[in-house]
Amino acid sequence: MSEIPSAEASVARADLAVLLEKVTKTFGKHEAVKELSLNVPRGSIYGFIGPNGSGKTTTIRMILHIFHPDSGEVEVLGNQSTRSANDRIGYLPEERGLYRKQKVNRVLQYFGALKGMSRRDANASINHWLERMGLSEWAHKKVEALSKGMAQKIQFVSAVMADPELIILDEPFSGLDPVNLKVIRDAILDLRQQGRTIIFSTHDMSMAERMCDSIFMIYKGRKVLDGSMHEIQSAHGEDRYRLGAEGSLDFVREIDGVSDAKEINGHMELKYVGESQKLLRAVMDKTPVTHFEVAKPSLHDIFVRIARPTTEEAAHGKN
Amino acid sequence: MEKTKRVAIAEYSNAVRSKVFILSVLMAPALMALSVGIQFFAEKKVDTSPRKFAVVDRSGKIYPALEAAAKAQNEAVKNPGKDKLANFVGPKAPFIPSTHQDQEDEEKLILELSNQVRKKKLFAFLIIGKDVMETDGEGDRGIRYYSQTPSYFALPNWIDRTVNGVIRNQRFKAEGLDTRRIAKLNRRVGVDQLGLAKRSKTGKVQKAKKDNKFVNFLVPVFSMMVMFMIVMTSAPMLMNTVLEEKMNKVSEVLISSVSPFQLMFGKLVGCVLVALTLSLLYIGGIAGVMTFFGVLELLPWSLIVWFFVYQILALFIFGSMFLAIGSACNEIRDAQSLMMPAMILGMVPMFAVTALIRAPHSPFSQAMSLIPPFTPTLMIMRLAAAPGPATWELVLGFVLTTAFMFFCVWAAARIFRIGILAQGQSPTIAKLISWLWSK
Repeated sequence: MSEIPSAEASVARADLAVLLEKVTKTFGKHEAVKELSLNVPRGSIYGFIGPNGSGKTTTIRMILHIFHPDSGEVEVLGNQSTRSANDRIGYLPEERGLYRKQKVNRVLQYFGALKGMSRRDANASINHWLERMGLSEWAHKKVEALSKGMAQKIQFVSAVMADPELIILDEPFSGLDPVNLKVIRDAILDLRQQGRTIIFSTHDMSMAERMCDSIFMIYKGRKVLDGSMHEIQSAHGEDRYRLGAEGSLDFVREIDGVSDAKEINGHMELKYVGESQKLLRAVMDKTPVTHFEVAKPSLHDIFVRIARPTTEEAAHGKN
Repeated sequence: MEKTKRVAIAEYSNAVRSKVFILSVLMAPALMALSVGIQFFAEKKVDTSPRKFAVVDRSGKIYPALEAAAKAQNEAVKNPGKDKLANFVGPKAPFIPSTHQDQEDEEKLILELSNQVRKKKLFAFLIIGKDVMETDGEGDRGIRYYSQTPSYFALPNWIDRTVNGVIRNQRFKAEGLDTRRIAKLNRRVGVDQLGLAKRSKTGKVQKAKKDNKFVNFLVPVFSMMVMFMIVMTSAPMLMNTVLEEKMNKVSEVLISSVSPFQLMFGKLVGCVLVALTLSLLYIGGIAGVMTFFGVLELLPWSLIVWFFVYQILALFIFGSMFLAIGSACNEIRDAQSLMMPAMILGMVPMFAVTALIRAPHSPFSQAMSLIPPFTPTLMIMRLAAAPGPATWELVLGFVLTTAFMFFCVWAAARIFRIGILAQGQSPTIAKLISWLWSK
């Protein structure tokens, strides 16, 4: 496995919203998180990715001090291992939870009160966010009357209404239609503009690529990716090329240094060890080239490459 | 503390605004009022119709006296005295006797009078034996009362008392005895049940007070029942709210804002406040009813103070148990099987009530009332039964129950912090115990 890029050393401790230092958490015999170190700079959007059961939610719960690590250090907004920072954290859990029989504004008032908000501040914030989400007229309706998308937006409001410094969103986009997805995405980007730190976990790799300043991937309890998209692609981008030509490209397979050549959508994708100019020249000698690209792997490709079951696991799964 | 307060306020506010609370507040007094109201209605409206009854006096010596006694009784019904309780329970209907000609064919006579009762011309009829005045021999000495309404006791009881009084007087007269003098000599001497005299702090002797059956029996049983009812309706509601939050996935949102202990303790305090509100409303209602009947002085105020103290302890004890169970379960079915031991623990005092009410100061009663989960219910019953438990028992019971309450809250908090986020397989008692010591 290639070296994990990380910005840990480059950011001063005071500028970190979250600092995890060699954190380990076990449940019985299962080691959910193993010696995890992570630095989330203030004012950034940090994406948490990883397959189901890889340790994302456990990590998030340790950041929230819902779980205490067996070993290691957790520092959130400058506070170590206490819940004192929790009023400055907004949290949207993966499994949404609202009081179905209560009215929307009453539920939000309660969540606001638990974050230490006064009734007046809570009401002002509720009105602002409901208007922004297009749900003002639903304030006095019972939660059970809301559609799934509306309930999700209300849950998002509950996470951000107390104006937290750190916002943790576990799968904020799951189950949303494109219109509502855009509403939430724009709200997240605005919050980042206002200096808030946002951590969100997602299975939508393209969304993570587009929105996140940094991405962290956890797999089987261990950190396998951590850094900006550029850093990750640089570290995981093998020397792959994408070629297009007027004639057949079958001859390319015969060029020295070429391997793993595949035809995809009329283009030839291949791995080449050597100088790119040399490869280009060798192809141009045989046929006119219409497309030549040094291809960087998408986050999806990297994710699949890391999280793909090993031959042994696949065989076990088949059995 | 602030967060606990906010959770408690929210719990209290949600509970007292819920339909269940409003129903439970209204239900008990409504049922009581309905019951009293129906009795009033029945007594005033239904039972006031005259009770006409025919008398076949074969002795020829009873009827005139019976008729005179009926007149006196009817006058008393028309002009009741000031004793509201006696008026409430006493008969209201006038008794109207009429003499009926005897016939040789007794079967025919009884059938004819029975038909009159069926046709509502009569309420009942009475056949007084020919030899009713005789004291010896095997003659016709009986008094038979026939009616279609055997559950109405007022008339046959009155006839029994009156006819026997007439017979006794006539027998005395026949023997040449002065009935007035005999009545004097026969005057019943009542036994007054009294408490004990005591010397006050000023040195003055306080006279022993008359025992009151209302205080001696009804108050202990009623106090115990109210305590049991309030605790066993409030505490399981906590389990339901926690379970509902878990099932609706609200728990994780809450736990991200407050610690599990703040959440649990806030809920407990909210529950205690709801139960106290309910108790205050009930006791206020009882005081109102007692004022109506003019017996407010019988309300034992010191008992009420103890009632609230023990109720708070009981609610913390059982509330903790039910909260722990609710937090550990994922489904109502799991919770129902786990709550059984806690329910049984709460019901044990009810099983022992008969033994305790008969001998509230026996070693068994003392021992039972000092076992912490039973103390609130049983001690309140013993406190209500004069002269009440000894001071050392009260102190020991209070200390043990308070210590047990702290243990329950601690244990529930240990279970709650793990259970509230636990998913998957159904919990067992053994698993809950193991959570007490897990990190």
